[in-house]
Amino acid sequence: MTSASGRRIAIAGIATHWGTELARRLARDPRVERIFGLDTIEPDADLERTEFIEVDIRSPVLSRLLPSTEVDTVVHCGIIWYPAPGRPARALHDINVIGSLQLLTACERTETVERVICRGSAAIYGCEPAAPSFFTEEMARSFPLRTRFQRDIGELEAYFENFARRHPELTCCMLRFQPELGADLQSPLAKYLSLPVVPTQLGYDPRLQWIDADDATEALVVATLDPIRGAVNVAPDGSISLTRALRLAGRGELPVPHPVFGPALSRLGGRLGVGSLYGDAVRLLRYGRGVDNRRLREELGFSPRLDAVEVVREFARRSSGLSVAPIPTLGSALSRLVGEPR
Amino acid sequence: MSATGTQSRRAEQSAAAVAGIEFLQGIREGIEGGLDPMAAAEGAATALPRSLRESIARMARRLRGDYHEDEWGFDEEFAEAAYPFFEFLYDRWWRVQAVGVERIPAHGRAMLVANHAGALFPFDASMITSAIMKQHPLPRWPRFMVLDWAFSLPFLAPFMRKVGGVPADPYNATRILNSDGLMMVFPEGVKGTGKPFSERYRLQRFGRGGFVEIALRTRSPIVPIAVVGSEEIYPMVGDAGAVARAIGAPFVPLTPTFPWLGPLGLIPLPSRWRIHFCEPIDISAYPAEAAEDRRVVFEISEIVRETIQQALYENLVQRGSAFG
Repeated sequence: MTSASGRRIAIAGIATHWGTELARRLARDPRVERIFGLDTIEPDADLERTEFIEVDIRSPVLSRLLPSTEVDTVVHCGIIWYPAPGRPARALHDINVIGSLQLLTACERTETVERVICRGSAAIYGCEPAAPSFFTEEMARSFPLRTRFQRDIGELEAYFENFARRHPELTCCMLRFQPELGADLQSPLAKYLSLPVVPTQLGYDPRLQWIDADDATEALVVATLDPIRGAVNVAPDGSISLTRALRLAGRGELPVPHPVFGPALSRLGGRLGVGSLYGDAVRLLRYGRGVDNRRLREELGFSPRLDAVEVVREFARRSSGLSVAPIPTLGSALSRLVGEPR
Repeated sequence: MSATGTQSRRAEQSAAAVAGIEFLQGIREGIEGGLDPMAAAEGAATALPRSLRESIARMARRLRGDYHEDEWGFDEEFAEAAYPFFEFLYDRWWRVQAVGVERIPAHGRAMLVANHAGALFPFDASMITSAIMKQHPLPRWPRFMVLDWAFSLPFLAPFMRKVGGVPADPYNATRILNSDGLMMVFPEGVKGTGKPFSERYRLQRFGRGGFVEIALRTRSPIVPIAVVGSEEIYPMVGDAGAVARAIGAPFVPLTPTFPWLGPLGLIPLPSRWRIHFCEPIDISAYPAEAAEDRRVVFEISEIVRETIQQALYENLVQRGSAFG
């Protein structure tokens, strides 16, 4: 139907960082014929080949607009992980759940659609002290959904699975991303790692997996062009403990008792670029989370370039000149003392 | 302590003191010579003894994050640093005798199955690890399953992870075995650690035999291990059930010393230990699909349990009195 003339792709949430990056890379791909970007505001970046359509994905208008684009692929990049400054966390529910539901309805009305890809979150697994060290895709919901964001993601995934079941002719792919890290990325967790002195929770040292921002975008491109059915974890190989990550990034660590960690982080909220820090970040930085990326590598066919440790090294290397100068740490002072290269 | 030992230690101490004084003098001279304190310290540090410079360099490397952790968060350097403490417990405190360590395969995967005891803090995993590291011809660090509740405790959870503990979950065991590691499991679980003193060395139920299913699926030999001595370190005479429910713990043991003596009650009794590694049970004759067959699973589970129980009785006799 569309193979002769090339792919027609709609990206919901084009103004988000991921939507913009995806469109930028797809524009360079000869297999792609047209790109439509949907959002309430125009993207900051100049996307030459992307046709911008101003629409709120929460509104039913979408169901009339989408069929006219005759797209074969719909990518949902509009899921928001962190509330914007000054906005309550409650507002996310509308965008993440109701918006996604409207988008799926619009896909149903668009006869040309063959593939639906959703940029979801590994938050569905939660952060549990006694969890499997590497969640595989079928282990979602093996623990109660504890936070608001987790429940939203759970609800959204339930709709998505239901949609995929009712439309076996469509390839529906849910990507579960671990948090991203990149020198140019303005995510709260990246900013957290850039604080000169980083508060941590006394007595806890979570195992974490950050995916390199570049790898994350590339995984999204691969999934957009050639999706597989079902859920896929997007994570690097291996894992890294928070303590080691902070040491590699040359940041001082300030352990605080965990009951005051949440409030302390929320006071830094403005600096981290989030309105209110929701429980997910606090739980992630207490218990950590690891996911298995076998399906990403073997079935989707994408291997992240950097592993969990290299992501942090790269981040430390590239961001050292950009952010606040790290205070001299004991480690660097000691290595200088014995004349070791740093 | 012999006279020569005391003398040599005195000599070491005075050498360290001299090095420290020279270091401080070096800094002062450097600052008087117009250097900034850091540069002065750098100059003075060249006079420090080599071993001290090396340990400073090692510490600096760790503080910069330049060390290895595997994907489970196991930190070999950390485990090695904690090792002398366990070695002390092994050699001096419990005078552990290990028999048949070489029965653990030197290469490839294996599941180590042992009885579980020690109400307040089960030391059996650390002592089995010490036995392997001390006496196996090709030592390697095994991984051990830790009760999920323990993994939610601050300080303890990161510590156990760094020395090789993983949360007790079948997926974790499968993954470790598939990467050809040694996986230590305690099928008795909480029922083993929380049993009263009067029940010591009587093996509890082996769960639903989940460990056998994993061994069958991953085609791993099973090495039964009998640990004698661990069941006397904290004689559990009661259970503060109400407290346990309040803090979400599976049980809160009452021993003759805990909690009556406060932190002193945490000191385990110095019983004499014997760890017996039994002949590995080869299950390669069964196909992997046998894991679905309840009958086979229970049968193997029962063989393992019987082997450990039998070895426990034999080694109890060979060890003799617990505190002799």
